[in-house]
Amino acid sequence: MKLKIRKEMLFGFGIMALIVLPSVLFMPWGNMTNGHWGLLMLALVVVAIMLGFPTAFTLMGMGVFFAWLAYRSVNPDLAGRQVLDLMVQRTYGVMNNESLLAIPLFVFMGYLVERAALIERLFKSLHLALSRVPGSLAVATIVTCAIFATATGIVGAVVTLMGLLALPAMLRAGYSVQLSAGAITAGGCLGILIPPSVLLIVYGATAGVSVVKLYAGAFFPGIMLATLYVGYVIVLAKWKPKLAPPLPESERRVAIPAINQPLVARGRNSIAVLGKSLFTAPPAGVTRRNIFGQFLVALLPIIVLSALLLVTYDLATKAPEVIDTASMPATFDSSSSGEGAAADPSAANTGLAEPPQDTGLAEPPAQDLNAPIAASKATPEAKVKAAIIPKPAPAIDKAAQERTDIPSWFWVFAGVLLAIMAVVALVLSWERLEVFKMLLTSFFPLAVLILAVLGSIVFGFATPSEAAAVGAFGGLLLALGYRYINHRRELGTGPAFAVTARDMGSIVQDSAFLTAKTTAMVCWLFVGSGIFSAAFALLGGQEIIERWVLSLGLSSLQFMILAQFIIFVLGWPLEWTEIIVIFMPIFIPLLAKFNIDPLFFGLLVALNLQTAFLSPPVAMAAFYLKGVSPPHVTLNQIFGGMMPFMAIQVLAVILLYMFPAIGMWLPQVLYK
Amino acid sequence: MQKALLFIDRVSTFVGKAFSWLIVILTFFVSWEVFSRYALDAPHAWAFDAMAMMYGTLFMMAGAYTLSKNGHVRGDVLYGFFQPRTQASLDLALYIVFFIPGVIALTYAGYFYAAESWAINEHSNVTADGPPVYPFKTIIPLAGGILLVQGIVEIIRCVLCLKQGYWPSRDQDVEEVDVEKLKVMVNVTDEDIMGAAPKAEGAR
Repeated sequence: MKLKIRKEMLFGFGIMALIVLPSVLFMPWGNMTNGHWGLLMLALVVVAIMLGFPTAFTLMGMGVFFAWLAYRSVNPDLAGRQVLDLMVQRTYGVMNNESLLAIPLFVFMGYLVERAALIERLFKSLHLALSRVPGSLAVATIVTCAIFATATGIVGAVVTLMGLLALPAMLRAGYSVQLSAGAITAGGCLGILIPPSVLLIVYGATAGVSVVKLYAGAFFPGIMLATLYVGYVIVLAKWKPKLAPPLPESERRVAIPAINQPLVARGRNSIAVLGKSLFTAPPAGVTRRNIFGQFLVALLPIIVLSALLLVTYDLATKAPEVIDTASMPATFDSSSSGEGAAADPSAANTGLAEPPQDTGLAEPPAQDLNAPIAASKATPEAKVKAAIIPKPAPAIDKAAQERTDIPSWFWVFAGVLLAIMAVVALVLSWERLEVFKMLLTSFFPLAVLILAVLGSIVFGFATPSEAAAVGAFGGLLLALGYRYINHRRELGTGPAFAVTARDMGSIVQDSAFLTAKTTAMVCWLFVGSGIFSAAFALLGGQEIIERWVLSLGLSSLQFMILAQFIIFVLGWPLEWTEIIVIFMPIFIPLLAKFNIDPLFFGLLVALNLQTAFLSPPVAMAAFYLKGVSPPHVTLNQIFGGMMPFMAIQVLAVILLYMFPAIGMWLPQVLYK
Repeated sequence: MQKALLFIDRVSTFVGKAFSWLIVILTFFVSWEVFSRYALDAPHAWAFDAMAMMYGTLFMMAGAYTLSKNGHVRGDVLYGFFQPRTQASLDLALYIVFFIPGVIALTYAGYFYAAESWAINEHSNVTADGPPVYPFKTIIPLAGGILLVQGIVEIIRCVLCLKQGYWPSRDQDVEEVDVEKLKVMVNVTDEDIMGAAPKAEGAR
């Protein structure tokens, strides 16, 4: 233990020396220009941060001092006044920052979703749904993490929760400790990258890049990273089954409720049996209402896909001039999508598949211009709505009369959808129906919430802060719904109301307090970095760095590799917030010189900073997992398990660099 | 002494917690505004100003609360491995070198900034006929002042720690990762965790 501590301190001091020594050696102490003071300030701030003083105030104090130094060199009499003005204006700028405004709302949404108590259901249903996949428990862990981390964005909570749920399950099933730990820690960090993530907002606010574009851009790289993780686990489980043995039959079996047993006797295919049973006498103990409800649930995939097909037909054959106007600034409603999402879980939870009866949906908004966009939205409700609601606007009426010919791709699309429907109808056995019901009450509500929030931002129906607020509202409803259902199972309808109400009081209160602390932490960092980066610019440190980098004669590729490497290394001693607010202002002006899109750079940085969470010895994720793992799991085993996933992250950075279209395609299509 | 420190902690916490309810109001307000704009076709011009003011007030006033709970992000490569006395002497020095000048500058500048705004009866220019901004600007010196007081408390804590060799205690607060609460939420007990050894080993 003693030795371990010594080693880590050595590591820290080593990095510190690495920064201090060159700056002391290469400073032209004889003739310090302002620029050199700037560089010295940069070296000092890294050292001061590593000493462990709260970063926001380190930046603030240093910024004030060095800004004063810079002003004094111009006019000593005015310096004090100017520093104070600069300081307060920067602070007020942070208080009025439209991008940062979304942070407390997304954070609040995250805390609410975390407290909705749905992760247990989510993991269980995904585990059953994926039970035939090799390494199924690890795959289910990663998928659960991806969804849950995306919605909450809180690494510590996700890793801890999955450490409680998935780690014992995997170890009991005979999975290797390394693989289990790696899957949990890597999966838990996915929320940093997959939008809506706070990291992207912080980057956007610092670099002056549109958060909307960043969200659109980070979506596919995030999915890619999650897919790579899953792919790695599957290959490993196939290759070395000892590390992730297949589940025994008893673990895979899905319990069919007793009420359905007489129905099961009538045939394997649940849709066919339920459909037939509607018209014949129901078996003893089963009501017709129950059969009808289950029939609707079983048909739900087919209903949703048919709706999708109808909407696509509507879009594909719409007169072209209407489609052209779609590129105009969209003003269509996000409330309907958000509320559709919010209403959905409660509707789904009752087990009846009634369409959400939201009054908000029935209002026909002025959507003549935006109907095509509206309809391509993520929520099925919105799609159904766009297709069903009679549109009073004349443009639409005209469009409806002048349908164009059906394009050939539509037939391909329709064929694929019909094939999917047919397969679903054929394979939906009773077990699968049960799994589908479980997914309906865990996976889909959360997925719909995320997609609705993300969709309304990316397609321009709402600003990030508006979508975040509606998402937080949805999170509130999710928490309410799940808590109520959980209590009702134990207590019955009446008492459950009272207990849920009490629960919600403490959930909202805890979430609000935590949100205040997290927001204060991030935004005070901006207050500090505002004055700090202003001082750096005033001193002209930026010019020295620029001159130096340009004198190296790097190609754009070399510069990119250098920048990413520096960020990767900084990820060890510093937190991602610090890296972004302190160092991005230095890198961003250089990007133009090398013809690099700041948006693309941001995606690479976001992917790169994932590794900071998994790199020992300061990997937060490992310590959270260690905190809840059984005593025989050592920290070294966890670190060892994280290594392959870290390698995959590096691979993902390289892939994104080689094929920028992974990230840039969506923003380019959407925001020409 | 400890009592006085905890009292100021509680004042900062009370202020921070009181203002943290703004996030709940903000959530409902923005949700309603979105609904109102799209469904009722009745947007409010002052909505953006109101949103920014709620957000700005929320995080500024929570600064001292966060400090009192040791919640501001700090580099943890070395700090965690230091002895409490080393931690306290470093903190003490840096509070005096960085924190005090920075926060005093902010409070002092904020005071005149707000006073000027009151004097000219300043209104927001984001939209025509915007809401008044002088109360919002007043938040800067207010938040700075509370933060300064809390900073002095932290400095005294450092001195106490230097004397005693251990950190004076703080009040408990809601934690981001509260393992016990999370265990209850997902119905996992310590036995479940302990019993998580692979079955194969048990069989052997």
